[in-house]
Amino acid sequence: MISNQLALIKREIWEHRSFGVTPLAVASVMVIGTLSFMVIGSGFRDVIDMALVGASNVGEVERRAMLTGLLSVYTVVVAISMGIVTVFYCLDCLYAERKDRSILFWRSLPVTDTETVVSKLLVAMLVIPAATYVAILATHILVLLMASVWVEMQGGSAAHLLWNGAALLDTWAATSVIVFAVPLWLAPFIGWFLFVSGAVKRSPLLMAFLPLAVVPLIELTFESTLLAKAIWLRPFQIPLFSTDGVEAVIDRAEGRGGIELREDMVSLVATLDVTKFVSSPSLWLGLVVCGLLAAAAVYVRRYRDES
Amino acid sequence: MTKLVTAQNVSKRYGRVQAVDNVSFSIEEGRILGLFGPNGAGKTTLLKAVLGLTDCDGELSVLGFDPFRQRKELLNDICYIADVAVLPRWMHVGRLLDFVEATHPRFSRKYAEELLSRTAVRKDARVRELSKGMVTQLHLSLITAIDARLLILDEPTLGLDILFRKEFYGNLLAEYFDEQRTILITTHQVEEIENILTDIMFIHNGRILLDAPMDSLGEQYLELMTSGEKADTARGLRPLFEREVFGKSVMTFENADRGRLETLGELRVPSVADLFVAKVKGAAV
Repeated sequence: MISNQLALIKREIWEHRSFGVTPLAVASVMVIGTLSFMVIGSGFRDVIDMALVGASNVGEVERRAMLTGLLSVYTVVVAISMGIVTVFYCLDCLYAERKDRSILFWRSLPVTDTETVVSKLLVAMLVIPAATYVAILATHILVLLMASVWVEMQGGSAAHLLWNGAALLDTWAATSVIVFAVPLWLAPFIGWFLFVSGAVKRSPLLMAFLPLAVVPLIELTFESTLLAKAIWLRPFQIPLFSTDGVEAVIDRAEGRGGIELREDMVSLVATLDVTKFVSSPSLWLGLVVCGLLAAAAVYVRRYRDES
Repeated sequence: MTKLVTAQNVSKRYGRVQAVDNVSFSIEEGRILGLFGPNGAGKTTLLKAVLGLTDCDGELSVLGFDPFRQRKELLNDICYIADVAVLPRWMHVGRLLDFVEATHPRFSRKYAEELLSRTAVRKDARVRELSKGMVTQLHLSLITAIDARLLILDEPTLGLDILFRKEFYGNLLAEYFDEQRTILITTHQVEEIENILTDIMFIHNGRILLDAPMDSLGEQYLELMTSGEKADTARGLRPLFEREVFGKSVMTFENADRGRLETLGELRVPSVADLFVAKVKGAAV
């Protein structure tokens, strides 16, 4: 069972080269963009000097906040691109094998349909997030290395301004939780995409998104918003972050007449509330829905007549 | 002889179409059975039932397993080529070997590589870079290297030229077949494989028209070439089927009196192809 699972996951990685190519491409674009910005920026000597002096003089907490914010931009771009990869992977993985008829070969080996579908689920929920995490870390390190060289060339201290260990470790720790928690939260969508991939005869992309758009609209005509909330708002309602988030901090700070940053306010880890996340009934309900849809995908793969 | 496959009153219906209609048969170990039938006869449905790809009514046992419900266990001892063009085109040959090695407990990678070394198939090539003939060689090498008791081939040489077809069947006999192994094969190219078969089975409209060992055909079936008045006399003996060849009548008889037929013209044992036509067309009359 486990050796089969490992072989199946390897097969998915061999087949879907986008797992490696996409983060590489996105990271390359961002690194090249950053490099271009540095090269162009080098021409504005006065501005750079002022910026370096300013960055050196601000407090430790403010500098950490800036660094965390900067790295988060790279995190979000890589994560969104890998999210898109996940959607396309899920829609393709059970459809392509039927389209090119290779399913007849895969099913001639002693591997069950359940093992096959589970491997695809594991790829979507573990392998792609792991690749995403590695890509994010690699992008961060690459950008920081380039920025270090640039800062040193401009006369600043990279060790002081950029390599703030606490900020980096905090960002990377929080990112590791987020990249694996988001697929768990969005599991019902992953299950739905797998089911559509295994069930439809053509246009899996259209067949997957059309019901997601149309069904809540039909429901709205009956003056109900249950499905609309469950489908459209779910991606934005992940209960992973503490209610004392950035907005609340800013609101309170504005009430006091200004933002005074404290150490815990610029910690991404401090914004996470893992207990709230794992105890959310909505998370578990979503996982059950994902399981049911994956079981339906197994059923159609097992019982569909491919001849 | 051990019976590897036993079917008792097996039927399969798709909507209003009766694809397989109450068939019973058995396949013994160490045999090479050719399953023939016109398009839509029910061959593929029957093979799918044997492979556990589709459920069916009746009792079907393959290597002692219920093929539909114990499919994974069954596939440890059985292998099949459903079509020559189904190997994943994106995959490297080496990785294909890796995958089969990891998932099939009876696969010998060493033997597969030895077989492939005799072909022009490179391990670093992708399947899509190979010719159709090479893909077939690759597929046959993979399944030959699986120590399976039953091999099922459904139109394995479809679309291949005559050289590759001959090579395929030659390799099948040389590399795969022995007394412990059994082969079930369907093809439309009846003439090319009749000399390697030990048994034949004809299926038409979901029913079995013939199920017999090859060496019993000469005792059961005769083909008479005759003309004129003798042809009229022969027709009185109720041939299965009659056709015209160069102005002469060629009639196929089942369980007929050989001595009587010898007086009416030239006798010979019909080829499998001719017998197939006679049985199918005779059944339609």
